[in-house]
Amino acid sequence: MPVKVETYDRVEEAARALSASRSARFLGGGTLVMRAVNAGDQSFDTIIRLRDPDFRTIRMQGDGLVIGAGVTMAALVANRDAAFLATVARVIGGPAIRNMATVGGNLFASGNYGDLAVALLALGATVQLAGSGSRSMPIDEFLRDRDRDRHATSLVQSVTVPRPRDPAAFRFTKVSRVKPKGVSLMSIAALLPQSGGRVQGARVAYGAMGPTPLRAIAVERALEGQALDAAAIDRAAALAVEGIAPPTDALASSWYRAEVAGVHLKRLLAGERR
Amino acid sequence: MSIEFRKEYFADERDDNLNEVGKPTQRQDALGHVTGRSPYFDDHLFDGLLHIRCVRSPHHHARIRRIDTSEAERMPGVVRIITGKDVPHNLNTLLSLLDFGLDDEPLLSDKKVAYKGEPVAAVVAETERAARDAVAKVRVDWEELPAVFDVEEAVKPGAPVVNEVYPKNLFVYHGRYDHQKLRYGDVEAGFRQADRIIEGRYQMSPIEQAPTETCGAIAAPETNDRYVVYTSTQALFFSLDTTSKLLKTPSNRLHFIGGTVGGGFGGKVDSLHEPMAVLGTMLTGRPCKYIFDREEEMQVGAPRGAERWYLKDGVMNDGRIVARKFVGYFDSGAYTRLSSYAIIKGVGHLPGPYTIPNVYADVYCVFTNRTPATAMRGFGITGVDFAIEAHMDKVAHEVGIDPIELRILNAYRDGDMKAHRRLAKNTALIECCQVAAEKAKWPISQAASQASSLRDGGGERGRLPAHTATDQNGLVTGFTAQSYAKKSRATQPSATPPPQMARHESAPVTPRVEQPRPQPVQPASAPPPPPAATEQRHTRFSSISGLRRR
Repeated sequence: MPVKVETYDRVEEAARALSASRSARFLGGGTLVMRAVNAGDQSFDTIIRLRDPDFRTIRMQGDGLVIGAGVTMAALVANRDAAFLATVARVIGGPAIRNMATVGGNLFASGNYGDLAVALLALGATVQLAGSGSRSMPIDEFLRDRDRDRHATSLVQSVTVPRPRDPAAFRFTKVSRVKPKGVSLMSIAALLPQSGGRVQGARVAYGAMGPTPLRAIAVERALEGQALDAAAIDRAAALAVEGIAPPTDALASSWYRAEVAGVHLKRLLAGERR
Repeated sequence: MSIEFRKEYFADERDDNLNEVGKPTQRQDALGHVTGRSPYFDDHLFDGLLHIRCVRSPHHHARIRRIDTSEAERMPGVVRIITGKDVPHNLNTLLSLLDFGLDDEPLLSDKKVAYKGEPVAAVVAETERAARDAVAKVRVDWEELPAVFDVEEAVKPGAPVVNEVYPKNLFVYHGRYDHQKLRYGDVEAGFRQADRIIEGRYQMSPIEQAPTETCGAIAAPETNDRYVVYTSTQALFFSLDTTSKLLKTPSNRLHFIGGTVGGGFGGKVDSLHEPMAVLGTMLTGRPCKYIFDREEEMQVGAPRGAERWYLKDGVMNDGRIVARKFVGYFDSGAYTRLSSYAIIKGVGHLPGPYTIPNVYADVYCVFTNRTPATAMRGFGITGVDFAIEAHMDKVAHEVGIDPIELRILNAYRDGDMKAHRRLAKNTALIECCQVAAEKAKWPISQAASQASSLRDGGGERGRLPAHTATDQNGLVTGFTAQSYAKKSRATQPSATPPPQMARHESAPVTPRVEQPRPQPVQPASAPPPPPAATEQRHTRFSSISGLRRR
């Protein structure tokens, strides 16, 4: 069963072709899809490509940044307006991966991958789907439904990210065994806007701590309205895995993740460099 | 950092006027590697090359009720599907070439699988993709069986039988025991004499060799009814002989070409690919390639096996270790491969580089439903060395002695008798400890810094123990000691235990002069005469396994 490749010039056409077939996959940078092709994945026989230049652009829109789903990690690193995301994009893969891997693809990366999606979740991004079902949704909702196959035939057109007013309010850390280029044992992203010395609207997200990037609701609640001092950080770190069942995989056991999550979270909140 | 040679040590034991030894030299393959010109097996191109992919078990342990290949056979590009019945001699154990162990592993399993990823059929197809697509269409009717993953669980009564050739899940040593024994002196007496007993439990997980080039081979028809094989093997003649046996083909019809190995580290000795590639070529008349993908390399490719060790030391208050007991479990995975041999090697190494008058070891080669284990860099030694050295630190801590001084105090010295009954020669642990302490600026006592491997060894320390306590624990029946590779017939149960000497009859060893006679008949009161001093000179380097003929 040879794999067929279809190339489209316009995002609507690609979205229509994707939604018309259950055995088609959209090719972003290919870092996930081509691996599946090489491994003889039997779940799809068609690859859909898109060469719409809009799909690969980054533009400002009000306070936010609209990032085309086809934008690569390397392009994100190079974009001045997206500087707050560069720290995240820079630790994804090696240079070869970053030259290919896309923002849209990262939203579908599972397991130890998908660090950018973790950052976008903490930043409260919005995901735009293309085609006849064209609509926007909060990334929380998108990720929640991602693996329930509801988006299998949807094409992500772009992601809108509100830029943090204070760049220091956004923090990200990636824990990996191999440096650089290792995959995530876990990643943590936190948006901690402060007003009058107190945290207002905290969003904290984990990667590789569940089937999709997920929010640490208990940690957010513990931080909300608090000054970011040692006592508040300790209280938040103690709740690091409250309501979360970390997975066991080749890199770490569930037990290990649960043990170290609080340590890494504490370092991130305290602004300790590691 | 440059290498510092400490040539003041053992200067009279060494010739420093050699052309190569002790001098920096460039690897012969370095230029090819850095210029990308080293040829690997996969660089050999053949017109009409076919690709082999295996159908693998998704279960850790399952009976095969039925394999239905009919749909797969009709897939485009499929040339042939191979199952167990196509393999001329579908049962082997790697070390049967050394007459060690029973055939226990099929090339393609047709009755049962005992680890996840075990191959049950192979598709030969025009492209790799066609082979993968057809693999997905092979239907196997599995009957899942309970699986066991822990070595100590596997040896309990009632545990699932992993490997039917060894129904107790234990490899049989010398046709007599379900473990490898080491008995030297009397540990129980040593424990009674000791001021304190210090115990520890140590274990390590399997380790994947993770070569850059995955294991593989290409076979093609050659003139004169021969087959040429390009392979990534680390053990060319091992692979050749294994292929010859499994395919019942004389080895002079097999033309094996090795060469550059793209990373081996022990993981490329199992000879799984060469027989399959040649079989594919025999059945199709066309060149065939069989290579692991990365996932197979990790899941199916044999790792260094897991080990668990229990150590018990009898220690005097001054730090002298007077008795050391080991109970070890090697996780062989589903089949023997090389774990049985790793244990022989490991037991020969006990109790580590120390002179301890009473040593005891029971080491078990255990079958579990995990990926079969194989060679990797010093396997059989590295695991137990970790246990020994971790335990030495524990002893030092509990007795309150500096850990380096504890090692120097107990270190073996030239002329000491080792537990495997050979005299220690060219020992250098003391000097290593001294230099390590000096480099680390770790203060040690004057006595420790003046100790020498060349002094204070031998004499009493060079004699065999006056009495060695022996036992018949773990005796098995139904296996014969005459040959490692034969199982006795049902009509020939070992009703009368064979004479004690029979234990060693089959071993391909010419005992060295100083080798004492087998211990069970050793009269406790009459230690054998000490070794002749002249004997040591021309046997400076002893083979690790003790199996090499001298």
